[in-house]
Amino acid sequence: MSDIMVKADQVSMRFNLGIEKNFSIKQGFVDLFNPKKRAEKKLNRQRNEFWALKDVSFEIETGEVVGFIGSNGAGKSTLLKIVAGVMKPTKGQVEIHGNVCPMIELGAGFDAQLSAKENVYLNGSILGYSKNFIDSKFDEIIDFSELHDFLDVPVQNFSSGMVARLAFSIATIVDPEILIVDEILSVGDIAFQKKSIEKMMSMINGGTTVLFVSHSIDQIKKMCQRVIWLDHGAVKEIGGKEVCDDYQRFVGA
Amino acid sequence: MFKKIMINFNKYRFLLMQLVSRDFKLKYKRSVLGVLWSLLYPVLMMLVMSAVFQNIFKFSTPGKSYLVYVMTGLVMWNYFSEASNLAMSSVFGNFSLINKVYMPKYIFPLSKCLVVGINFLLTLIPLYAVILIESTKYENLSINIYHLALPYAYICLFFFTLGVSLILACVSVFLRDMVYIYGIVTTIWTYLTPIMYDINMIGNPTLAFLMKLNPMYLYINFARQIILGDQNGGYLPSGQYFLACGGSALIVLLAGIAIFKWKQDKFIYYT
Repeated sequence: MSDIMVKADQVSMRFNLGIEKNFSIKQGFVDLFNPKKRAEKKLNRQRNEFWALKDVSFEIETGEVVGFIGSNGAGKSTLLKIVAGVMKPTKGQVEIHGNVCPMIELGAGFDAQLSAKENVYLNGSILGYSKNFIDSKFDEIIDFSELHDFLDVPVQNFSSGMVARLAFSIATIVDPEILIVDEILSVGDIAFQKKSIEKMMSMINGGTTVLFVSHSIDQIKKMCQRVIWLDHGAVKEIGGKEVCDDYQRFVGA
Repeated sequence: MFKKIMINFNKYRFLLMQLVSRDFKLKYKRSVLGVLWSLLYPVLMMLVMSAVFQNIFKFSTPGKSYLVYVMTGLVMWNYFSEASNLAMSSVFGNFSLINKVYMPKYIFPLSKCLVVGINFLLTLIPLYAVILIESTKYENLSINIYHLALPYAYICLFFFTLGVSLILACVSVFLRDMVYIYGIVTTIWTYLTPIMYDINMIGNPTLAFLMKLNPMYLYINFARQIILGDQNGGYLPSGQYFLACGGSALIVLLAGIAIFKWKQDKFIYYT
């Protein structure tokens, strides 16, 4: 088994930091007749460009568990969002062979006013599940989340831990070929955390390809066979677990 | 490519249904009358409008029921204005979702047009109730065989609304001012569409001609020709009218799809 599941080829991603800057018609109109200002603006625009990813290339084979490490803002989440199809890269391309289950931020699209039961269907449909699939897995989802007594309660009355449990249970009910995990193993209380890590491990052992982002180096070391270290949007190192040690030495921790 | 779109649509059809049912459930949550409001609201609006315009402005439609005249226009106009307004904010209102999970973005304006569409179908009940009540007073008013052609007008209305919605949803992502601009545009558009008055009351022939180019006028007038017609009652609109309605709806829908498709990958940077 050495099929390529995910292939990133020179992926670059540009963000425009200036987008939020207050722009008004009046100022824009005044500037239009001021060549100095216009040149300044162009320069500003270039300065405001921010490359979140620069020529990132890698290949991930079937069944591999790959960890992504790097400091905040290194581009890890952006990269995962591109793999998940949420964003399109500015340059380069990503090839994906298989269905992707993105567990990037759980509970996206929960409607606080709807009951837990209705949210299972809504959230499931957002993740691309079919009705039949949710019908057949409904009991399993509720069993895992241990929320039997709250099925008809609107989610706005849930504690944040309960919401997270429900969200995790919905997201992990599929057997995806590619699983994208971004910092989600710290949901719920200690008992549920243990349960969720076990669930992840069983998915990994079942042959799922996993792309995993975590700031917990211990977790990465425990779960991943290969580690990709991103630094300021570029790949700094790709390798085995020794990359973790290099990274820890680098940040001085 | 068409096949790919269909496969994708099929995959997200359940999501579309979920979004529609969610909006419908939440619409009348915690209201005592609930879905009855869908039936009551247009009737009350019609009564207020016709009271004001008949008594203060002395508007009338000789030989035809003014109530039915207003109601026909009102239900269609309300559909358009409510659906397009909701759809306009549907994409940027769901940024928290678009940001995290992939899904076709047109699903948001489409779901709004469908939810309000269900509501529109409900408002047909009070419309027919008014027609039946008024038919006791007007001999030329009855539910005739041509009513079978009415769904054509409603489908045109839906396509037109969807097209406008896609454009508005797209523009408002980049330019949030659109919400206010469109508020003003809708108000002007309401008065330029003959809902409360008859287009023949317009003295200026150029203005009257321009007003007839308004697609909303086409669809409303299509329905009025069938429901009210002339002195002899309702009649089937001409073939040209069929073409004008279908053509205008299709052009706007295609323009909406093209613009939305062109810009949708950029949405994510404007969250």
